[in-house]
Amino acid sequence: MPIPIFARNSPRVRIIGTLFFIAAVLGLAACDNNPNIPPLHKTRPDGSPWVVTYRAFLDDPRSLDPQFAYDEVSNGVNSNIYDTLLTYDPLREDYVLQPMMGSELPVFEPHPDGTETVTCKIKPGLFFHDDACFPGGKGTEVSSRDFIYAFQRMADPKVECPVASTMADYVVGFGDAYAAAEKSGRFDYDAPFPGIEEVDRYTFRIHLTKAYPQMKYWLAYLFTAPVPRAGVEYYDGKVHNGVRRPFFRFHPVGTGAFLLQDWRRGQFIRLVRNPNYNTIRFPKGGWPADVNAQLAPYADVKLPTVDEVQLLVMREQIPAWILFRQGWTDASAVSKDVFNSVIDAKHELSPVYAARGTKLIKDLDLDTWYLMFNMRDPVVGNVKVRQAMVLAYNANAFNEIFGNNILHLTDQILPPFMFGNEPGFKNPWRDTNLEKARQLLAEAGYPKGIDPKTGKPLEIVLDTQADSATSRQMADFDRSQFEALGIRIRIQENLFAQMLDKQMKGRYQFLSAGWNADYPDPENFFALFYGPNIVPIGHNQSMYQSPEFDRLFEQMATTDDTSERLAIIRKMNELLLVKDCVVGPIFNRVTYRLRQPWTPYFVKNSIVGQYGGLRFAVIDTRMREQKRAEWNRKNYWPLVITFGLVAAVVAYGIRRRSQANV
Amino acid sequence: MSPHIQNLLVLTGVILLALGAVGFARSPRWARPRARFARNRTGIAALIIVVLYLIAGASDLILTPWEKSDGRPMTVLECVFQNVPKEATYSAPFARKDLSDRPLLRFHLFGTDALGNDVLELTLKGASTALLIGAFASLIYIPIGIVLGISAGYFKRFTDDIVQYLYSTVASIPGILLLIAIMMVLGKGIPQISIALGVTGWIGLCRLLRGETFRQSERQYCEAARALGETHPTIIFRHILPNVMHLVIINFVLGFSSIILAESILSYIGVGVPIGTASWGTMIDAARMELSREPKVWWNLSAASGALFILVLSLNILGDALRRAFDPKAA
Repeated sequence: MPIPIFARNSPRVRIIGTLFFIAAVLGLAACDNNPNIPPLHKTRPDGSPWVVTYRAFLDDPRSLDPQFAYDEVSNGVNSNIYDTLLTYDPLREDYVLQPMMGSELPVFEPHPDGTETVTCKIKPGLFFHDDACFPGGKGTEVSSRDFIYAFQRMADPKVECPVASTMADYVVGFGDAYAAAEKSGRFDYDAPFPGIEEVDRYTFRIHLTKAYPQMKYWLAYLFTAPVPRAGVEYYDGKVHNGVRRPFFRFHPVGTGAFLLQDWRRGQFIRLVRNPNYNTIRFPKGGWPADVNAQLAPYADVKLPTVDEVQLLVMREQIPAWILFRQGWTDASAVSKDVFNSVIDAKHELSPVYAARGTKLIKDLDLDTWYLMFNMRDPVVGNVKVRQAMVLAYNANAFNEIFGNNILHLTDQILPPFMFGNEPGFKNPWRDTNLEKARQLLAEAGYPKGIDPKTGKPLEIVLDTQADSATSRQMADFDRSQFEALGIRIRIQENLFAQMLDKQMKGRYQFLSAGWNADYPDPENFFALFYGPNIVPIGHNQSMYQSPEFDRLFEQMATTDDTSERLAIIRKMNELLLVKDCVVGPIFNRVTYRLRQPWTPYFVKNSIVGQYGGLRFAVIDTRMREQKRAEWNRKNYWPLVITFGLVAAVVAYGIRRRSQANV
Repeated sequence: MSPHIQNLLVLTGVILLALGAVGFARSPRWARPRARFARNRTGIAALIIVVLYLIAGASDLILTPWEKSDGRPMTVLECVFQNVPKEATYSAPFARKDLSDRPLLRFHLFGTDALGNDVLELTLKGASTALLIGAFASLIYIPIGIVLGISAGYFKRFTDDIVQYLYSTVASIPGILLLIAIMMVLGKGIPQISIALGVTGWIGLCRLLRGETFRQSERQYCEAARALGETHPTIIFRHILPNVMHLVIINFVLGFSSIILAESILSYIGVGVPIGTASWGTMIDAARMELSREPKVWWNLSAASGALFILVLSLNILGDALRRAFDPKAA
């Protein structure tokens, strides 16, 4: 006989059990779906609301040391904690530098002997975050010494600054200081550092071994951000008075708009407003008309406007997207898989999201993705094989399958908005033409893709870091493109470290690669193909060596953005992409980002948007509460169904019992 | 491997399987289990389904004289599907257009995946991968299980202690972690995954045979064989092994489904088969994010998980039917 719930137990157990069950159901029904941790405060000292912005973050940062961190995730956090001498104008797409901590733009002074001096002036009255590392816990004023210290740290082998070799090429005495520290095992921060000269408390000079206009971009990069020597020495990871202090890379002390309050690995990072921040202010105007009403009250106000930033670490894209849809986060990227539900055929917001008031931001990233060949390989070292392979590649199909048709397909290595990118440039190998590709392959000695040595199809190895379903599909797509030529592609799957090792040792035939620019100058891209930069010394992973290209590169690198420089770049493009076909450029990434209606956005510059945009965040908390309530209405039907089921079971039990008694 | 050798191996496998089936059908020793199995309709249905899967799998292993564009010989399955065109990207089952609104060259019964490949063909190819790995892994773990299990049960004492120590040690390591570790060392590939599954999958069979051999070795026919002066190998292979073979068969069928599931899990987490090898686990992994697409791409996941579900369920039902058929108590 079926036994009703708790029927075998004593009446007391039955009553307790039933009450417990009902309490559990009611308890569950009382839960809400807010995943955010409670804010530090509800109101500010003046009684106004404490404003928090919530963002989903891809991963934990590797390091919060600005002289070491070189990845997007770490710099995404660091750019809010540290400021730099210069920054990019947030209201312009075309990467125009403007002073940040500097009181004016640096002055470049060339000398007759070919050397150059860069004079930098910093604003007085800028302070480091208040922190225990300073006397009395009050942040000290930033001076020239702090910038010099940043450069010294870059030259310290123990810091492992990724651009130390570049600096050694241009900054006087940088390489010697590095070598001496490597030899002695410690960097002497008190020894003279001839590359940077302290003129006065607010002025310093950088002495360069040769003209290097790109130095201005490094002054906008986090590597040159000032850090307090007191902080680096205080946070050494050692035990003091029985208490272990964290390492500086996990306890940053900077000058930025926010300071790190809390970091729980794999969960969240909490930043709070730097109350002493006065480096820059909110723009006075120049934002789009549709956000004018929301932003006008903030014109020229003190930054930042939010009190707290919660970065929720979410490695999976789908939960991050669901949180955005429910209003629990303020901004989100549009991932490949949700693209069609958010964006319509005209690449605008779908009516559903437009009606919600969501704003779409389209950022053209400063990067280029391309097919890269190993120039020293006996097979793909043949220019006609490379030309055939680039011709066979259908970038439109790639864009359709993996890019939702929003990628910016390109013929050149320099991305748009960078000096040297010419919209009219035509790469003859970029339009898919299988017939011509087969002809070139035959001319290369592989008719119909057959290797005459073996009599079998030519086999070429494609190295890939297949760490996700999408990357595996991409590798499979790449293979299908080239196998149409009759050649056989063997896919070699690698772990990240293996892939890096192969690239740095030149042990590959061809691969799909990309370069995200450190700064918006053609030198940063063309350096990837400069002869003296061949791996493992530099980043010339294609191992391209052309005396003519190298000569043009040296000329271009030290020239200002003039028509003369453009003419040199044209010649370099002709050599690199047309004559030698070292790489086959495919696309520049276009990132679609969404903002909730309560957080108006005006930053047009993708670098500022990606790094440091949080300082400009504006939140309408009242609208957020209202929309969240509207989008997360409670559903009571599961509760009703549960109660119905319980009632049915109880009724059934009573009925059976009464029948048994009869 | 040359196409001739591959075809020879497949043919040998099919012949061995057929001979086994004929042996089971004719041997008077198994007349009663056969009769009991024949009465189990669910078991027969499961057997038919498994045979259909075997045919589909074998058709992707037998090579033909025709070649693909990259010069590799086509399999029978690829010949069957050679006129099914590749589309630009996803298209739903029976659709006339793909998801970019391009007209299709021909409709696809199970739709197409992101790269425009026919999902039905991929699903059938997945069967081939699953069965191949199942067969190779079984060829590895069954001899290990038999040798160690019977040795432990027959020789007892020191041999038993060593075998017990061995399987207790291996069993104490979490299975999936051990598999991942082995795959990280060996790399991706069908032989590698078969070895990984084979060297970790023998414990259940070994334990079963150890216990049964204990029982059998104490029985009178073994005592008689020993009294007649027969050697240990003769007693093991002529007397004990035939009496525990039904356990091996049942374990093989049930273990086969576990291997197929394990292969799918490993491929799902990206350490299983290499890129370009069809696998249900890879299909499910690729389809994971597709469910959040708009419009939802459900056919990839449905085809792969459906095929996996039906095969595993059929193998489990078949294994259960065989267990009932061989169960002496059922008589």
